[in-house]
Amino acid sequence: MMKRLLVTCVILMISISVAMSQTTNVRGVVTSSEDNLPLPGVNVLVKGTTSGTVTDLDGNFSIQVAQGQTLVFSFVGYDTQEILVGNQTNLNVLLMIDARTMNEVVVVGYGTQSRRDLTGSVGSVRGEDINRMPVASVDNALQGRAAGVFVQSPSGTPGAGITMQIRGNTSLSASSQPLYVIDGIPMISEDLSGLFSGGQATNSLADINPADIESIEILKDASAAAIYGSRGANGVVLITTKRGKSGDAKIDINGFYGFQRITNEIDMHSSSEFLSLMNDAIRQDLRAGVQLPYDNITDVWGFSPDDPDLQNTRWFREIFRDAPIQSYDVAISGGNEKTQYYTSLAYFNQDGVQIGTGFERVSARLNVDTQAKKWLKVGTSMNLSRTVQDRTINDNSLYGVVINTLAGDPLMPVREADGSYADPFDYFGWWMLDNPVLIAENYHRFTRTVRGLANTYAEATLAPGLTLRSTLGIDYTYLEDESYTPIISRESVNGNFNGFGTFGSTQDFTWIAENYLNYTKSFGADNRHNISALLGTSYQASSRTFSSISAQNFPSDQFTKLSVAGRVTSASTSGTDWGLASYFFRGNYNYADKFLATFTVRADGSSRFGDNFRFGIFPSGSVAYRLSEEEFLRNTAVSDLKFRASYGVVGNQDGIGNFASRGLFGVSAYRLAPTLTPAQLSNANLTWESTEQWNMGIDFGVLNDRITFTGDYFVKTTTDLLLNRPIPGISGFSSVIDNIGKVENRGLELGIRGAILASGPFTWSSAFNISWIRNKVLELVIDEQVLSDSHILAVGHPIGTFFLIDQEGVDPETGNMRWVDLNGDGVINSGDRRIVGNSQPDFFGGWDNNFRYKGFDLNVLFNFIVGNQIFNHSRATYENLGWSRLGLGFPLPDGNNHRLADNRWMEPGDVTDIPRASLTNVNWREYSSRWLEDGSFLRLRMINLGYNFTPQRVERIGVRSLRVFVQAQNLLTWTRYTGLDPEVSQNARDPRLAGSDFGTFPQTRSVSLGFNIGL
Amino acid sequence: MLANMKKLLFILLAVFTIQSCDILEPDPLTALDANAALVDGTSANAILLGAYSRMQNINYYGLEYVLNNDLIADNARYQGFFDSQLEIDQRAVPFTNLWITQAWPNIYRVINITNLLITGVPDLEDGTFSQAARNRVLGEAHAIRALAYFDLLRIYGEFFNESSSFGMPLLIEPIENNDFNRIPNLSRSTVAQVYAQVMSDVDAAVDLLPGFNDRGRMNFWAALSLRARIQLYRGNYTEAFQDANRVISEGPFQLLDNVRDIYATLTPTAESIFDVEFNDQDQSSFNTYIVRRDEYNVDPSLLEAFEDGDARADLFTFSRNSFRSDKYPDNNNGNNTKVFRLAEIYFIRAEAAVFTNNDPNAGLADLNTVRTRAGLEPLSGFASTDAFVDALLQERRVELNYEGHRFFDLVRYNRIGTVLGMPDFRKVWPIPRDELLVSQGVLVQNPGYETL
Repeated sequence: MMKRLLVTCVILMISISVAMSQTTNVRGVVTSSEDNLPLPGVNVLVKGTTSGTVTDLDGNFSIQVAQGQTLVFSFVGYDTQEILVGNQTNLNVLLMIDARTMNEVVVVGYGTQSRRDLTGSVGSVRGEDINRMPVASVDNALQGRAAGVFVQSPSGTPGAGITMQIRGNTSLSASSQPLYVIDGIPMISEDLSGLFSGGQATNSLADINPADIESIEILKDASAAAIYGSRGANGVVLITTKRGKSGDAKIDINGFYGFQRITNEIDMHSSSEFLSLMNDAIRQDLRAGVQLPYDNITDVWGFSPDDPDLQNTRWFREIFRDAPIQSYDVAISGGNEKTQYYTSLAYFNQDGVQIGTGFERVSARLNVDTQAKKWLKVGTSMNLSRTVQDRTINDNSLYGVVINTLAGDPLMPVREADGSYADPFDYFGWWMLDNPVLIAENYHRFTRTVRGLANTYAEATLAPGLTLRSTLGIDYTYLEDESYTPIISRESVNGNFNGFGTFGSTQDFTWIAENYLNYTKSFGADNRHNISALLGTSYQASSRTFSSISAQNFPSDQFTKLSVAGRVTSASTSGTDWGLASYFFRGNYNYADKFLATFTVRADGSSRFGDNFRFGIFPSGSVAYRLSEEEFLRNTAVSDLKFRASYGVVGNQDGIGNFASRGLFGVSAYRLAPTLTPAQLSNANLTWESTEQWNMGIDFGVLNDRITFTGDYFVKTTTDLLLNRPIPGISGFSSVIDNIGKVENRGLELGIRGAILASGPFTWSSAFNISWIRNKVLELVIDEQVLSDSHILAVGHPIGTFFLIDQEGVDPETGNMRWVDLNGDGVINSGDRRIVGNSQPDFFGGWDNNFRYKGFDLNVLFNFIVGNQIFNHSRATYENLGWSRLGLGFPLPDGNNHRLADNRWMEPGDVTDIPRASLTNVNWREYSSRWLEDGSFLRLRMINLGYNFTPQRVERIGVRSLRVFVQAQNLLTWTRYTGLDPEVSQNARDPRLAGSDFGTFPQTRSVSLGFNIGL
Repeated sequence: MLANMKKLLFILLAVFTIQSCDILEPDPLTALDANAALVDGTSANAILLGAYSRMQNINYYGLEYVLNNDLIADNARYQGFFDSQLEIDQRAVPFTNLWITQAWPNIYRVINITNLLITGVPDLEDGTFSQAARNRVLGEAHAIRALAYFDLLRIYGEFFNESSSFGMPLLIEPIENNDFNRIPNLSRSTVAQVYAQVMSDVDAAVDLLPGFNDRGRMNFWAALSLRARIQLYRGNYTEAFQDANRVISEGPFQLLDNVRDIYATLTPTAESIFDVEFNDQDQSSFNTYIVRRDEYNVDPSLLEAFEDGDARADLFTFSRNSFRSDKYPDNNNGNNTKVFRLAEIYFIRAEAAVFTNNDPNAGLADLNTVRTRAGLEPLSGFASTDAFVDALLQERRVELNYEGHRFFDLVRYNRIGTVLGMPDFRKVWPIPRDELLVSQGVLVQNPGYETL
């Protein structure tokens, strides 16, 4: 009774005091920082009082408040904001998304989980970070975004494949790529094109429109990836597409248009400098005692370096161009309480910076979810896309465009006076086989893909806490490859083909059926014990067919379809199948948010292995302990402190043939009669590659998770590596696929994220990640396998180790390379190679920043790779320093040199690392450490500056929101690498041969303007 | 509602329990299980043709076995991108050389096919597979195995020294169950043992093949020619003479009047004893590498070796600053590899006659037969066998260049030092690094290469 009286008194007194001060009516709109849309239902409270209100559907509020009082705005999921009221009557408030990102829900295999409850290691990337990047495919946008995830663009070819390594090179077989799962359906992510165009793979992930993506989760440790068992060894990338929310229909229209250019052009000598270098080579050789029938280049070639009217072709400028890139998409989403939809239509078009290349995509998506019955929810996700990729040959191929440009003779014009293409054989570069502009403009290589990805699910609630989910998915690809080699090309002239065309098709049909039960229950006092369990099956099968036809003898280069060809030279069809049957279980236990444990097991049967070893079982377990839930840390600055540990085994069966374990006879022909020939030896003991992984992690958050820190240390050991194993050649074979060894990756990943300036008109949030990963081959059945002219696989060394002829610099007296004659035979050749370095980085990472000031937003993303080496194979051509392959009678070097050759040795006593010029090959070895360079770089990968018009202003024209932006990709790069771009790899998909740059299509930099309109 | 739910549950459970067997056992669509390959006469013949198909391999008679021989010698020089060929042209072949690494298993693959046939054909249960048909298959298999082992010995073994221990590992049984785990780790047999095996195979072939004249396969005459060549290499001149003489006098072969006709054709000619045949559906790599890629250019010293008026000097084309051989003119790579042709048999008979009779002029007529066909005047005689050998090597070079004989001829007559400036140990090529590695010390490197 007394108590109630007291309360009444207090309220009364406050009311009086409020009534006594001068009150005014303040009104305004509360908008969300996420999308600049009005926020309904925001609590608006006068601080220290009970008087308050709630914003209406349009985010409007109106409240009586006295001068000097403070208004408190709060809403679930947003930072609470306090504003001191002065004499203003209009107050517009922008609420920031809660920085406690640890509370977000993350997608894990077969379900979702609160990030707070994770016991494994999962990296997340928000869709908006991806949507913002001007790139053709999703994987491209992940560079620098997540710790432990190493993404590389091996080629700048539009629509080209990307390599992604999650926690190092786990597997050595052709597939060290992660498993991509989109909306729960594992995708076919390999290059299905059969078209030869050098090392530039097509990218089946480019069939997905990045704007449709809601989020990407990367499952890194064994605990997280084990639910994908045999396919998790290289990590799993889960892609979730956008789905509708109930409410009014929202229409979003986005677009951008921009231009791209190569990041760097190699500075080449002018014609005059080229001739001077040849004169220097002759002078040096004569001084070294070489007998030559001439003493200057003008007498032999007829061109003088002093002639001011020399032709001066800048070859890189002839094949590269400023190319447009554009993207437009419209998405409509909405629904009611029962049914929600999201649908989109998108168009993307990128011309390549190299003539003759481009990529185009049209895609449509429909995602629908409906509560069909009280106990039954059904839904579907469908994506249909068509892509057209236009490529030229590139990389290490005779008729590649870039490779033929490398040492281009500046004395040679692109076209002769009569308009015909100049023939390199009329000029002074041995390297160039055909005019690269002719190749770029006249060779055609099209890959057209139609892809349908669809899945339907039904989720039934069988009992409280018990659901059954059943999904059926289809991944269908039909791809056509078409190529044409023109009559005017040297390739056709030499072979007397009269034009050469091919047509090929690949059809892949993969289906997957998955069913799983999910059970959750809480019990005990205060429901302290929480369990959830998942039990399911998955069947997946794929069937693929191929065809190809080639023909020659075309009437003219205007016709490129095979029907006009005079002669069909070959035709074939083929096909192959595989299947996978799996059973999986996952159990989670959570004790009062303090103690968390997960146990996962999956059993997979694969058609690729023999009967004895068909099934593999992949278990994992993880525990976490949240110290921050203990009494002594409650109500301190520490808002989250969690220790995690996990251990598990995951597998790999990709990258080997569908029938790798069987002994096979294939069919070939002799005199047009079919024959049977041994095609492969059997290996009945072939089995899974398995990766065992330990992970120790810590999650730490302070100041209400305004600053969070995540650290993970892992040791990943892959045994039974699936790889070609050398065998005695007396068997008629040099290798079989076998489980041949053991490789280890250990690493440390750190990520820190914080709202550095969270309130006030200027905000800045930042995220930084860095990873150190050490890769080492631990065991091999046969050690020191030489893999190529430049790479070796050896115990104690990492994958991607360079094996090259070595040198000890330039002799200051003679100007000659001091080659290491390892075997002492007096000749420097492949017998003198030794291990000289590797392509693995010491560390890599990214730094992402978001700034906001009033209507402006700015995103700045850097990424960096430090300590990797690149074998700059291209440099062997454009730093030839005069070496003439056809002998000294008529000097004919590979061609021109880059300007760095000016640092070469000229006179005794010069100290430099570039040897003297010479017409002989005394200083030139193609596969030597002379071309090995530091590949480290720091790159301003993305900068995006946007302006958001205030809702009031745009509402007048009937628009919900409007943002305009300017963005630049790869704007700045800091590197010591001398090639076109440090982000290269000629052998994109084989990590064992990583780190070579040879005629590779370089990365590009782009600047574009765009808009986001909400209706 | 509950009834509906039960129905649904039933359907879903049915899906749950789908048997996984179907999807786990797909069959290859373009290949056969190896253990079910040799089952009857038809498959035996298909496998036999497979041996020819494997002889077409680029490392073997599809290009490199033939041209690398001219390349390391003084007939060809290399301009191109491949270190492998560059090393051969430099005459400093390391044990990591790509061609010697790949040729080893690829030639042994041909041997493995013949091993399967020789072991399996006699016991095949196929009533329609007659003894005569079986003998044909067996005869060809023996002949091919003899050729392949002899070819291996000529590059990797000391074929010129019958007391040498540096022969080839002799595998004459098929790999059990086609399982790589059953590959025996064989050491090198002696040169004498390899010759014994080769002779036993070629003798068996000569016994089994009479009446078989197909010029695109190892026929009776090809087996005789092979035996003549082997005996010549071994210095068994009497035997070499007998076989060569029989091919020339009894065989259905004759030299073509016009040398260009030997090459400007896609089919075996009257001069062909055994061609490995190619066509546009099944191409060799000769035209590609000689013309299209322009890599095996002609060594200037070969051009200088021709006398004026030699029709064979016209078998070259000149363009783009260099000469190239015109012996493989078909741009669809349909020209055949001439493994044995009559001109070589004349040379064998001439050489064998000289050394059998120790008479430098005993082979004069045969040399002149080949010379005059090319439009040259006949030679009148030689003062010594040394003079004969000089003339023989010259005639063989101008006649058989780009056909894979030159280096072997220089090795046989111990001239790689004087003609090519090569150290003596390089008469033999090195055993590939990969083979040494996988043999774990069982295979021994050729002398001189141990530290290279």
